[in-house]
Amino acid sequence: MTAPEPVSGESGPEVAAVPGVATVRGTGVRREALYFAVRNRKLVGGLAVVVVFLLAGLVGPLLVGDPLAYVGPPAAAPSGEYPLGTTTFGQDVLAQLLHGLRATFLVGTVAALIAGVIGMLVGFTGGYRGGLVDEVLNMITNIVLVLPVLAVLMIIAAYLQVRDVLVQAVIIGLFSWPWVARAIRAQTFSLRAREFVDLARLSGMPVRRIVFREIAPNMASYLFMVFILLFGGSVLFAATLDFIGLGPTDGISLGLMLNHAKQWSAMNLGMWWWFVPPGLAITAIVGAMYVMNVGLDEVFNPKLRET
Amino acid sequence: MARYFGRKLLIYALTFFVAVTINWLIPRFMPGDPVRAMVARAGLQTPEGVAAMREYYSSLFGFDVPVWQQYLNFWGGILRGDLGVSLLAFPEPVTSLILGAVPLTLGLLIPAILLSWWAGNKFGAYAARKKVLDNAVLPVWYVLTATPYMWLAILMAWALGKVAGLFPVGRPYSASLVPEWSWLFITDLVSHWFLPFLSLFLVAFGGWAIGMRNMVIYELEADYAHYLSSLGAPPKLVRRYAFRNALLPQITGLALQLGVIVGGAVVTEIVFDYRGLGYLVLEAIKATDFFLLQGIFLFIVIGVLLANFVIDIVYVLVDPRTRAGMGGDR
Amino acid sequence: MRNRWRYLVLLLSVGLAAACTGVDGGEGGDGEGGGSYPRAQTLFTSGTQWGAPVNWNPIMNWTYATGTVGLVYETLFLHDPLTGEFEPWLAESGDWTNDNTYEVTLREELTWTDGEPITAEDVVFTVNLGEMKSVPYNELWKFLDSAEAVDERTARFTFSEPRYQQWANWVYFSPIVPKHLWEDRSEKDVTAGANENPVGSGPYKYEAHDQDRQVWVKNDDWWGKEALGLDVKPRYVVDLVNSSNEAALSQLLAGEIDLSNNFLPGIADLVKGGYKLHTYFSQAPYMLAANTTWMVPNTTRAPLNDPAFRRALANSVDVGKIVNSVYGQIVSPADPTGLLPIWDEYIDKAQVDRLGYSFDTNRAKSLLAQAGYRDTNGDGLVENKDGSPIELTLATPSGWTDWNESARVIAEGAKAAGINLTSETPADTVVQDIRESGDFDLILDNQRQMDNTPWRYLEYVFGLPIRESQTTVNYGRYENQQAWDLVNQLDATKIDDRAGMKAVISRLHRIQLTELPMIPLWYNGLWSQASNSVWTNWPADSGDAPRLVPTMWRGYLQRGAIKMLAELRPAEQQ
Repeated sequence: MTAPEPVSGESGPEVAAVPGVATVRGTGVRREALYFAVRNRKLVGGLAVVVVFLLAGLVGPLLVGDPLAYVGPPAAAPSGEYPLGTTTFGQDVLAQLLHGLRATFLVGTVAALIAGVIGMLVGFTGGYRGGLVDEVLNMITNIVLVLPVLAVLMIIAAYLQVRDVLVQAVIIGLFSWPWVARAIRAQTFSLRAREFVDLARLSGMPVRRIVFREIAPNMASYLFMVFILLFGGSVLFAATLDFIGLGPTDGISLGLMLNHAKQWSAMNLGMWWWFVPPGLAITAIVGAMYVMNVGLDEVFNPKLRET
Repeated sequence: MARYFGRKLLIYALTFFVAVTINWLIPRFMPGDPVRAMVARAGLQTPEGVAAMREYYSSLFGFDVPVWQQYLNFWGGILRGDLGVSLLAFPEPVTSLILGAVPLTLGLLIPAILLSWWAGNKFGAYAARKKVLDNAVLPVWYVLTATPYMWLAILMAWALGKVAGLFPVGRPYSASLVPEWSWLFITDLVSHWFLPFLSLFLVAFGGWAIGMRNMVIYELEADYAHYLSSLGAPPKLVRRYAFRNALLPQITGLALQLGVIVGGAVVTEIVFDYRGLGYLVLEAIKATDFFLLQGIFLFIVIGVLLANFVIDIVYVLVDPRTRAGMGGDR
Repeated sequence: MRNRWRYLVLLLSVGLAAACTGVDGGEGGDGEGGGSYPRAQTLFTSGTQWGAPVNWNPIMNWTYATGTVGLVYETLFLHDPLTGEFEPWLAESGDWTNDNTYEVTLREELTWTDGEPITAEDVVFTVNLGEMKSVPYNELWKFLDSAEAVDERTARFTFSEPRYQQWANWVYFSPIVPKHLWEDRSEKDVTAGANENPVGSGPYKYEAHDQDRQVWVKNDDWWGKEALGLDVKPRYVVDLVNSSNEAALSQLLAGEIDLSNNFLPGIADLVKGGYKLHTYFSQAPYMLAANTTWMVPNTTRAPLNDPAFRRALANSVDVGKIVNSVYGQIVSPADPTGLLPIWDEYIDKAQVDRLGYSFDTNRAKSLLAQAGYRDTNGDGLVENKDGSPIELTLATPSGWTDWNESARVIAEGAKAAGINLTSETPADTVVQDIRESGDFDLILDNQRQMDNTPWRYLEYVFGLPIRESQTTVNYGRYENQQAWDLVNQLDATKIDDRAGMKAVISRLHRIQLTELPMIPLWYNGLWSQASNSVWTNWPADSGDAPRLVPTMWRGYLQRGAIKMLAELRPAEQQ
């Protein structure tokens, strides 16, 4: 196929189009990127939202008690004492939300790192080596790409009896990499043909160093955006798994809050404060990440800058 | 062209093989013995009775032959369309449970996918050329695409269903109705269908719109577009070219998104108690019905593979370059 | 061209939506009411059937479609656990003619719904089915010698070793099947066949079924109308499959379900909230007690093999918290003997006062100390007597939300008393697996329902011998031959010999309360929430309302619930 590959993927229907590979060499360019970065409203706004939630997830749990303890009156609506109300059992919804945020960031980060690393390794190797190695890797990528990821995750999570958030993050990470590999392979292909790579090769640099020293830095901006997309996608996957009861059995997460709210009929009992906040938090974090992504795209790709 | 399809088919065949093997493998390594579970449910007291039951179920589920033969039998079963017997709904065959649920899921999925894709592309392209509109709707689309499927579903079920009472929530049609071709039944069916459909549609819509908007902006900034404009081509013509070029990646994107939307349909069905495949998945998970879970998984894989293949064909038909015979997967 | 696209897509989606109807349809409805079951004549129920109805086999008493036994297949007697009375049903009478012989006489002019008469041959045939190893009442033939038809209506059973309690259980619990339709069936058909188109004798007949429902239609020729003066009111009984309680609650509130036998959290508030909802009691605990939830310790593992440790554990459980916070007061704490409130007369109160236990963390701590369990490594949790750490897990099936939450509370309480206990939620099948094989520390279990005799509970606690696989009783593998002999003595006590029963039970409870082979925690409710919008006169404990078990659960129609259908009255039309 000669058509440009869309960089959308299993990680949410986000299409970051095909960003031109920004040449990030030289401090001048870097300073220019920073100049546009701090002036990009999408980037700054998105980042602000993410940071607020991140801080809440990091610091919040220290300020509230055990999220599962029965502390208040059952099914109480939001009040001064319990700003987000309590669950059927009298658990503090705010405490659950803060602990849940932590789990959400953990899942997103770990899964995105795993998927990112696998995707990069497969993509770089295939793209740079070409030939039979590429054929095989590309075949594997395509196979995993076509598998309906959520269905696979369900099967695995159902049998594995996921205990904690980390295991869940690993499973999600292991199945989210194919589109990354594919996109990076394409990018590597085009970069491989550039002069500076040829130069490096002529100077006798080993392959690994060429990839990581010469090619990867040139895709740094792109890789960062990939990470953001993977993060958002993993958070949504985790929430979905938690919701259908395949989440971690220990602790609390935003998806588990939704799961509990449904199982204990929060909707029928009118306890909106139980199911609105967790979903809102997920939407806000992932949405802010996506908006940040657009901002980044504009920063690194001058053509898209608002004039 | 033949080579292009040959390659695609090879990948699909391999994927299918891998999926089937994973599917067969996993339950055999996991804790929990379905035969023992079936016998336990019967609550037999005497050891002779338990032994008799166990033998019966073992042979029924095909656990009484060597492992390699179990694997071959599994393939044989799949090729014959026999996915075994459900534990949850014993002695109902898995195939008939799935076939009963599939129409509902497809009834949700196909309109939701096609309409969201179509509408998303339309609105995305439209917004790309109207700065004001673009700034207004883009955040909305981002919020939509970042929304977890089930949460949007819960909100809609709660707000439009419970609080406002506009639409019924739960089951595909009212409990008091007998399924038949009548006006009453069809309106009932559609009113139950609407909310789950809408929630699936909305989440997917945001993604397509963003994708299209970005693509069109890229295309409009491309050299050929500037060239056309400088030649004095009317903006409308330029936009049409941009739209058509931007559409191609969106078609591939559709193939990539299928799995995610199917997953979305699963949780949406659970929220709305809509008795399609998603509901069945939850049932199977709750009852650890290995056979049903395997069957549904296979079914979803086959469905996604078929859809991918259809999209491949569409792509070839739409893309002038592949049409001209430039085959090969790059 | 673009416009054509648009219409095509719309057309496609409408067509697809419509296509669904064709596939689902096909069955049901005799045309009355134009494609719907007339609301005013239909009873909608839910809460028994967790998956699509797939078999109508009365022998498969753990999975048959709701109503198969009770609405279609009937039993010789009815037993009402609320009154403790047996009521002749298919039987006109049944008596022990001597210590070893039981004779049952059928009512006159009973017929199967295919027109064949019901005779003593059918009864004998049904009992004989028990000779098949995989029939649930195979146990019967260990003490039954022979079954024979004396005449058209009388069957005689001769026992080698009469077990009055168990036999009394059989005559009300097990349905009679027609010999002429079943005699050629293989063992597999009998114990695993779907038995489509069931032919029974009861007040309802099979009408239709679908993935999400089972529909029964009234049998206008039912014998009971005349013989019992009972007329079941609903023309149709539609049992809806709801796998989630949340969905059932939603339908109940919408008036789509008349009787929900699901566990519905938060129901206590809704009953007061003007939804026309009805429960058996109008205040806590709202529900009758249906069964006891036991915590089963594996008595073959240290330190759970030590009665002193088990006692400390029992004292550490905050049952009040489970009752109030997890269940919102719709259950009540169990008696230390575990016997249900309906068996109150069999509980030796003085003995329970002397030997019982209650939630008291400090007492649990001191019991541990007395028994020699000390915290040697200073982590606040006690170690085994030999100094090795104690690490116990309590397994409840994942998705059983109320139990998972309760297990968490139990673990918290144990930790507070110094016992390292954690809650685990493996899959349902895994829990069954470890329960049978004995590969667990602690589990919860509540399989024994309210019944005709406390013998069922004591057999469950003390049942011997211990086998490789414990399928129905004594999952904790507690071995006490003396207790088991007493249980058998109780089994062989005549059911009207109350004093004799009490004496044996009191001795058994002394063993139970000192040894604590199992720890009863709370009584699970007979979940039953009814809506008064279409049908009224639901069973209740006050006023003129009938005192009956208000449920469609398997095994409960023959416990009197069938009469509820005759007591219902249509609601006043507004």
